[in-house]
Amino acid sequence: MNSFAGTGTLTRFALRRDRLRLTIWALALTGTTAATVPALDQVFTSEADRAARAALMRTPTGVIFGGPGYGLEDYTLGPMVVNELLMSLLIALAVMNILGAVRHTRAEEETGRAELLRAGVTGRRAAGTAAMVVAVVSNAIIGALTAAVLVGSGLPAADSIAIGAGILLTGLTFAALAAACAQVVSHARTAIGLGMVGLGVIFMIRVIGDIAEQGGSALSWASPMAWVFQTRAYVDLRWWPLLLYVPAVLALTAITSALATRRDLGAGLVPPRAGRATAGRFLSGPLGLHLRLQRGSLITWTVATVALGVAFGSLADQLAVFLEESPEMIQYIGADPTALTDSFFAAMMQYVAMLAGAATILSVLRLRAEESAGRAEVVLATATSRVRWMGGAMLTALLIAVVTMLAGGLSMGAAADAVLEDTSYTGVLTLSALNMVVVPVLFGAVAALCYGLDQRLLPLLWLWFVASILITIFGPILDLPAWSLNISALEHPAFHPAEESVITPLAIMGGAAIVAALGALAAYRRRDLVTG
Amino acid sequence: MSTPPIQMRAVDKSFGSVKALDQLDLEVAEGQITGFLGPNGAGKSTTIRVLLGLLRADAGSATVLGMDPWRDAVEAHRRLAYVPGDVALWPNLTGGEAIDLLNRLRDTVDERRKDELIERFELDPTKKARTYSKGNRQKVALVSALAADVDLLVLDEPTSGLDPLMESVFTECVREARDRGTSVLLSSHILAEVEKLCDTVTIIRRGRAVESGTLADLRQLTRSTVVMEVDGDASPLAHRKGVHGLTQDGERITFQVDHDQWDPVMREVAALGVRSLVSNPPSLEELFMRHYGEDISHRPEGATV
Repeated sequence: MNSFAGTGTLTRFALRRDRLRLTIWALALTGTTAATVPALDQVFTSEADRAARAALMRTPTGVIFGGPGYGLEDYTLGPMVVNELLMSLLIALAVMNILGAVRHTRAEEETGRAELLRAGVTGRRAAGTAAMVVAVVSNAIIGALTAAVLVGSGLPAADSIAIGAGILLTGLTFAALAAACAQVVSHARTAIGLGMVGLGVIFMIRVIGDIAEQGGSALSWASPMAWVFQTRAYVDLRWWPLLLYVPAVLALTAITSALATRRDLGAGLVPPRAGRATAGRFLSGPLGLHLRLQRGSLITWTVATVALGVAFGSLADQLAVFLEESPEMIQYIGADPTALTDSFFAAMMQYVAMLAGAATILSVLRLRAEESAGRAEVVLATATSRVRWMGGAMLTALLIAVVTMLAGGLSMGAAADAVLEDTSYTGVLTLSALNMVVVPVLFGAVAALCYGLDQRLLPLLWLWFVASILITIFGPILDLPAWSLNISALEHPAFHPAEESVITPLAIMGGAAIVAALGALAAYRRRDLVTG
Repeated sequence: MSTPPIQMRAVDKSFGSVKALDQLDLEVAEGQITGFLGPNGAGKSTTIRVLLGLLRADAGSATVLGMDPWRDAVEAHRRLAYVPGDVALWPNLTGGEAIDLLNRLRDTVDERRKDELIERFELDPTKKARTYSKGNRQKVALVSALAADVDLLVLDEPTSGLDPLMESVFTECVREARDRGTSVLLSSHILAEVEKLCDTVTIIRRGRAVESGTLADLRQLTRSTVVMEVDGDASPLAHRKGVHGLTQDGERITFQVDHDQWDPVMREVAALGVRSLVSNPPSLEELFMRHYGEDISHRPEGATV
């Protein structure tokens, strides 16, 4: 039997299904590039501006989302694009590819749609291969458009094409990684989680490797995210690092293929076990049920924020070493060493809050999954009021917000204390986390309000969430006006520990969250349940 | 007894421009099993969701166990149990956990009966719900509902995934529930099931109740089919009042007779010299087709039916 049979049809079908999704991703990613490149040119006009910015990019904070730092000596537009923009693009691209690959493989199997297809003339490898072809097509489009935008901005063609090719190959690597994850576990959500963990590991290997040495150390080379930077585009172009992607993608694809032909449809490598015949005491009400359903997510998100906290916290000594080595930096940045460390932690706390915000929103939105699957109906047909049902979900989301945020702060502080042989950061950064906890809580409450009023409002929430992240990441670089910074929920709490915590914004945001939560409950009591 | 367990009067419900319920009347009498019949899309599930307070009626009045289904949902739900047609369960909970959870949320369980039902339905409660077939998920909801000590059971096409053996277990269990005094609303499109179980029937069509009453009442409204062998010539019968669709094949004649014309028709037939006679009361299917036959014959490809 030909295990690839039907690949062509499945590919066309997948592209047809995803045409809107892919268009939005392509427009968002290339649109960001098209908007950022001229802005970079305008914001950093003078030599001094550029030198100061380059100095900042050499700090560990700069390296995390910058890269190995090629071209900082003569910080012209080309190196600026690579250092300021490329890493964020690659992360977004990786997320797109992980979601896409799982969507076309494991998610299809889980919903049972694949069964229908597999019963037709469709081979075992067809779905996986079609997912990869879709990934090639979508990443090639994004890579080509990005290269075109860069060339259009007056940058050298060869270097821009290298960046475009790097985008294509990095995207493919993550698609291949996610497709392999989708073979190992039997649930789409778990596969996505596993893919995201992979992304985190690959990202952190590069961060640690690049911070150790400008231009990247041996460790950096272990991360596919480093290879595109190693082409030294716009500085001293070399093509061969891109070749490294080929064996990586082939190896991952071979693993996927081997697993796909060996297992049953719908099965993972981990077999299901028998469970308990009766419910434990804990599983006796809506809150108990929500906690039980989200136990796995709570653990996963907490592990993720702890990992982020430890990773960023342990960079504190690098920061100190860096300042000792280049005291002229302080002149550029115009701050004393402690202030630099503190603003590094304050910025990192914003990243923890983004992660906690995503966790909280997704937790609230479990309600929507319960409703559309018809499980909310089963519960609400018992003596359970809507307020208890939704309230249980909201308390669970609140718990996730507080636990992930505090875990991030505490672990960042503990890691910083460990590497600096200090004792003060654990307490200070826990306070920083407490200062920010209102951010995920507000995101969650607004998500609940949108869901309670009408599920069709949820895109507005996502828009606000993504805008908050983009404004907080790019706002300072792009010199955005103050009013637009105010759109981001992340900008309202004080920049602790660099600034003193202020109670007023926290009280206002907390109050707004309470009002939104109460409004959500009131609205949910009034509306019809959406049923199948 | 004041109000019946379920009473709906002139209930309307629209989704956008689609009218799902149109002046619907429905009643379930105390201690009886009421069949709720209609094809897919007639409004059965919408009716049930209004009764459960999941949807709010646009107009009309509805009471469940004497309470307002929207305002007093929680109180009403303490005394009823519901089995949906397509049971969705939490994939990572076992069947046993789901049964216990639902019973605790209802707070009215008979533990002994629960164990007995799990055995009768041959359900393995230690399996995770994600590994269950549709039939097994349905068993979970049935065990939980039937184990509850409630006054009213609301069952929405509860046997659509069960095999014939389990269907008969279901039939027994619902009869036992009625014998305990529980009232039952059984929505279905399986006519044999309704015929076997129900005391009264309501037929719904395009959101409107077009027929309701006991099966015997409904049968009075329509004709019985008679097949007989006679010696004489039966052709004059064809024009007699109350006789319809007479066909003759040698000595064998077939016709339908109106219920109020049995006596005069039989006297006339007797004179022909009867050698055998079989009379079939109208099946529920025929009752049903009386209301839906028109739709079917209007379908171009179904014109021959």
